[in-house]
Amino acid sequence: MYRIVTYSLLFLVTVLLQVFLFDNLSISIYLNPLIYVAFVVLLPVDTAPVAVLFAGLAMGVTMDFLMGTAGINTVATLLLAFLRPYILGSFYSRDDLRDGGVPSPERLGHHVFLNYLVVLVLVHHAVFFAMEALSWSHMLRIIVRIIASGSVTVAAVWLLGRIFTAKFVARL
Amino acid sequence: MDCGPPVRNLELGIVVHKLIEFIRSIYLVVLFVVLEALAVGYYARSTFFTQARLLARSNAAAGAVHEFFAGVQRYFRLETENRVLLDRVAVLEERLAQYEEAANIDRLKRYILDLGGCSKFRVMTATVISNTINRSQNFVTINRGLRDGVTPDMALLAPGGSMLGYIVDCTDRYSVALPILNTSFRASGKLEGTDYFGSVYWDGVDPHSVLLGELSKYAEPKKGQKVVTTGFSQFFPENVLIGWVESASMNENRTAYTVRLRLATDFARLTDIILVENRDACEVLDLQARQEEDERAHVDL
Repeated sequence: MYRIVTYSLLFLVTVLLQVFLFDNLSISIYLNPLIYVAFVVLLPVDTAPVAVLFAGLAMGVTMDFLMGTAGINTVATLLLAFLRPYILGSFYSRDDLRDGGVPSPERLGHHVFLNYLVVLVLVHHAVFFAMEALSWSHMLRIIVRIIASGSVTVAAVWLLGRIFTAKFVARL
Repeated sequence: MDCGPPVRNLELGIVVHKLIEFIRSIYLVVLFVVLEALAVGYYARSTFFTQARLLARSNAAAGAVHEFFAGVQRYFRLETENRVLLDRVAVLEERLAQYEEAANIDRLKRYILDLGGCSKFRVMTATVISNTINRSQNFVTINRGLRDGVTPDMALLAPGGSMLGYIVDCTDRYSVALPILNTSFRASGKLEGTDYFGSVYWDGVDPHSVLLGELSKYAEPKKGQKVVTTGFSQFFPENVLIGWVESASMNENRTAYTVRLRLATDFARLTDIILVENRDACEVLDLQARQEEDERAHVDL
């Protein structure tokens, strides 16, 4: 129960941060960090794959509605949610997965957590920016956008994860 | 002989069991594929209009918060904005002086012309509450809606009087506009002082420059030359500044120029904008519709 409340809160916070802060960063055309992936990244490691998939669906649809992007967020976030259990499994032993808990640098180790985070963000951003451009004529530009926005997202999710685990993880 | 049916039942049981096992092992993949296909299908069928509509609907909920943040941001831009407005006032002042001079010369003529009524364009102002430049499908949301008399197809101009976009969808309190910085945007533009025109569009590369395509090969665009709107558009008044020529290149079969323009409007710092309604637009559209009907009637005969 406590878990549902905290994760609803995390959902709300990531949505608000994305829509009212990160979407308004009119700094550069290459900078469009999609920090809302934090919600899917930080779900407990023992969450059932179906639950992760539906969490991704809920987040994707919400972002599409608020950003007016008609489906791209949903496509990218669904893929992310679908792949998460496999990616988590490849970085993390099966026994540890069963223990549950929030994925965090403390639990997975700094190196493993960073790898896990980077892979997820890369998958998500690659799908998002490729679908948005809908052509390979600006290939280089798309790659720059993926890397620039992805790095900011990774940093933001890392920070958000630190705050989230420091505040709530003791009780999860 | 007697043991036939039980064996068959057992076999059937195994088959059903296996089937259930199989479905259980792949239902996640199936679910994922179905959901993904729905999302991709929705995106494939969407146009800039669907996207604007989504944004307009969500603004009914999020608009107030956007407005608050826009207000804070706006405060920090007041100084630059003030300067732009003063420049604009100076230009208009100068033009007014010219008109007054001209009016003194042929006042009589003007009296007769003025009987027709007021200008065909109605102008009002609005504030931008949310705006992106970092996507290929950017939209601008403003804090005026149906309640304030904003309707789709009204033109948006920057405070300096340069072209910005046009309204696509409105709710009661907010409107969503399609800016030049959206790959679906099209308008016609011409080199100032000439009759050579082309279509203005954005290639999604640089938020400070757009392209003017299909410009006649006789046009001879020069660097720094002004590009303005033509009178063909149902959205924009004539001679609204779009930008300045930066570079030009002939296409492969040497029939037309593609010109890169530096945009006059700075989309990274939009706060207040000007809305222009073409009062004749309805009439023009009616006329076009009637003409099409006539043509169809001709064909039918």
